[in-house]
Amino acid sequence: MKFLALITVVLAGVPFYAGPAWERPLIDLLTLAAMASLWNLLAGFAGLASFGQQAYLGIGAYALFATGLDPLVGVPVAAVAAGLAAVPASVPLLRLSGGHFAVATWVLAEIARLTVSMATGNTGVALPAAHEPLLRQAITYWWALAVAAGAVGGILLLSRGRYGLAARAVAGDAVAAAASGVKVTWTRRVAYCLAATGTGAVGAVLFADALYVQPSSIFNVQYSVSMMFMVLIGGIRTVEGPLLGALIFFGLQRALAGYGPWYLILLGVIAILMTLFLPRGIIGKVGRPWKSRAGRSYSVRWPLWPAARRRSKDRGPRAREPS
Amino acid sequence: MLEIDTVTKRFGQVVVADALSLTVRPGDAVGVVGPNGAGKTSLFGMISGDLSPDAGEIRFAGLTVTRLDAAARCRLGVGRTYQVPRPFADLTVFENVLVAAQQGAGERGRAARATAADALARTGLSDLSDRLAGRLGLLQRKRLELARALATRPSLLLLDEVAGGLTDPEVAELVEIVRAARGDGLAVIWIEHVVRALTATVERLICLAGGRMIGDGPPAEVLASRAVQEVFLGVTP
Repeated sequence: MKFLALITVVLAGVPFYAGPAWERPLIDLLTLAAMASLWNLLAGFAGLASFGQQAYLGIGAYALFATGLDPLVGVPVAAVAAGLAAVPASVPLLRLSGGHFAVATWVLAEIARLTVSMATGNTGVALPAAHEPLLRQAITYWWALAVAAGAVGGILLLSRGRYGLAARAVAGDAVAAAASGVKVTWTRRVAYCLAATGTGAVGAVLFADALYVQPSSIFNVQYSVSMMFMVLIGGIRTVEGPLLGALIFFGLQRALAGYGPWYLILLGVIAILMTLFLPRGIIGKVGRPWKSRAGRSYSVRWPLWPAARRRSKDRGPRAREPS
Repeated sequence: MLEIDTVTKRFGQVVVADALSLTVRPGDAVGVVGPNGAGKTSLFGMISGDLSPDAGEIRFAGLTVTRLDAAARCRLGVGRTYQVPRPFADLTVFENVLVAAQQGAGERGRAARATAADALARTGLSDLSDRLAGRLGLLQRKRLELARALATRPSLLLLDEVAGGLTDPEVAELVEIVRAARGDGLAVIWIEHVVRALTATVERLICLAGGRMIGDGPPAEVLASRAVQEVFLGVTP
């Protein structure tokens, strides 16, 4: 957590010491990291693999447009709008699970896209620039950073406590979780609405960055596919896995952007190879020897489980005594 | 504490509970036997809330629970194990039990950790608390089922074949754990094919066949009765 705070502080200073040239790529990277982390909250920690998170990107972006607010104050409003939209959506969706849930989220995202298209037109809408360009980009950058740090920090805090443990139990085996007293649907609803809230904020940031948004681009399933890609290659059910995944995805995007369709083909090949050979992602693989050596009773990478850590420390000296 | 009142459940043509009634008092230990497909696990499903009956009513702790979900019933005091263990494979053994103490028993912080540690100690799993549950062997998984059910602090414990597939000494260990758990007024309903494990623990045995109760009473009497012998041994009068 301290490490995360330190990185956030260092990154917050970028507009002052590194200048606008650094902001643009970092906005990309930070929004990717936030999207991946939020998808991991949903799929990794609550067991809800969604193909429809682009719905909340779109709702966030269009909420910023509809309210006409300056992004400086509009991003949280867009986030709340997306979170509120997720509450009624979760009622039918959470009656489903697995593949049915995934398909239904996609259908719902398409419905959202069509509704927005009918209301605002297919050609898209522009965001009036509220500040001079340099300041505007810095504000967007800070929001991207705040959303990413908020998502990662929030997930970190959440997964440390009662809620995170219950969510991971639900992801593991919903029937057994219910038999252990976990309110399965409520647990899933919280994860779903929180992920929607964060994703809505990302949508608003994307809009504030591009100043222009089109239903067919923001409500694109490609976003959900990218989130999935980042989480799966980085390591699902870990906190830092999606961050690593975002970094790799960002790098691939930059390196291969000029190769047209080959870029997508390569991403597909990587995804297939990862699923075959590293199904738990890079962190899932790399973390393993470290964890078994430490022998600690937490199961998420990064010491997320203070109770278990305390126990481990208690056990430490005893374990080293000759038996 | 538990009253099952003329409950009926069908899966298509198969009747797994045919106007079944059963009353269990606090501290009772009831064994359940019956051939495969007799409706034993379905009975548990209806008590724990995994299945809802087609007709009839289930009352527990003074409440009608027929329409309550599994989590709510667990919080009221119904703890259960599954025939095929269902550990949370990605959680450690300690976390598996802790989640039950936090959610099922509604405990927080230190109290929840103490309940979890106690459940692990009672089932002999303390040394494995740091291990991922997915890496446990069968006996340990069965113990973890039991530990997780105990950590919800149940007043009624439903055991579904916890001794199945284990060796004799392992069965004896599990019987000891269950007997020790019964100390504090816990009622137990125990489905088991290993009849020795049952007769060593329960005072009352019921025998199900085709969703009906064909025997109910002291174990020796039930096992000796003609109806039960017919079902189990194929003896015809």
